[in-house]
Amino acid sequence: MAKSKLKKTFLDPLGKDNPVFVQILGICSTLAVTNKLDNTMVMVLGVMFTTALSSWTLSIMRKWIPSRIRMMVETMVIATYVIIVDIALKAYYPEMWKQLGPYVGLIITNCIVMGRVEAFALQNKPFLSLVDGLASGMGYAYVLLIIAFFRELLGTGTLWGYQILGSWWTSWAIMIMPPGGFFMLAIFIWVVREAFIKEENNG
Amino acid sequence: MKSQSFYAKRINPIIFMVAVTVVCILLTAALHLSTLELVQENERFFLWRSVLDAGGITHEGTPASVNDLYKKYVTQEDNHYLIKTDDGVTRFVFATEGPGLWGIISIMVGFEDDLKTLSGVSIVSQNETPGLGARIEEPWFTAQFVGKQGPFRLVEEGTSSMADEIDAITGATRTSESFRNIMNRLKVEDGNSVGRN
Repeated sequence: MAKSKLKKTFLDPLGKDNPVFVQILGICSTLAVTNKLDNTMVMVLGVMFTTALSSWTLSIMRKWIPSRIRMMVETMVIATYVIIVDIALKAYYPEMWKQLGPYVGLIITNCIVMGRVEAFALQNKPFLSLVDGLASGMGYAYVLLIIAFFRELLGTGTLWGYQILGSWWTSWAIMIMPPGGFFMLAIFIWVVREAFIKEENNG
Repeated sequence: MKSQSFYAKRINPIIFMVAVTVVCILLTAALHLSTLELVQENERFFLWRSVLDAGGITHEGTPASVNDLYKKYVTQEDNHYLIKTDDGVTRFVFATEGPGLWGIISIMVGFEDDLKTLSGVSIVSQNETPGLGARIEEPWFTAQFVGKQGPFRLVEEGTSSMADEIDAITGATRTSESFRNIMNRLKVEDGNSVGRN
């Protein structure tokens, strides 16, 4: 029993309960940072770190948090982890910190983090919550990386900043602007739902 | 639940919240203080590197080489940086800024001894569209200004041929125009500003 719950907790956010394309959470950052792979990578690592550890911390504290102020406590803990990410980037990876600008701080408002804490961590044991937070972060991560892959490739002809497509390629400037994010996300959700999720619903 | 005591209902949440806040602040403050020196070093590195870039001094891009060269060649004056190299070249680097498409673009502009010819331009900070306007940070764009004198005119990307022509960035017309305006506005006409009469 325990093992199957662990497996379910880990696999659901990656597939049929994915935070981005099923629950449609965290869309703001999905649109904002996915125009280049390296930005996206740092962003998703930050989100994974934050969701996993804040779920874990709040799950440990769950028996003592007075329920009327639980949102305040959640925000405080999440903000602390985000600031840790921000300071670490600023000190050890300043070039990336400059590029990401305000988006690192905005992880605080990423609905996935708070959503998982509210929906899962406050009812479950610490280890399970850690797994759930990490899996949700990973579910978010791979979707963003796929979107960023196409946006960077079509938008600039590069991947990780390396030229992939030759000079014959005309960059689709729209892909790296905000509208490109909407297009790619919509196409992605459409393809995934059409190909995978529909069958499960019918069955 | 109905018979919650006054303590559990009113006092406990306050004490709990204060305790959580204190712990969180202590943690982040400790981290901040322990990395403060590193962060300041990074900021200084970025500043010094942009001064060297604008002054047309080649460096390896590592903190060590930037620090060495900066200390060797550059002195900071009231409103500019004075560069004197070993082979007797004198250059002046000014910090300036202006509005871009989304926010302020601040740059360093280096002049040769005549205070007209540019020795280099480097971006200190900008907030333009990544992949479009942000391409002003790419070396080919700033390198266009080296050895030229303003005022500049923009032409289509990849077609500049005259001395006062600058390739605009395709897809970032507004950023290119803003950048041209910042460059054209900057003139050093008063010798006093660099300590000459």
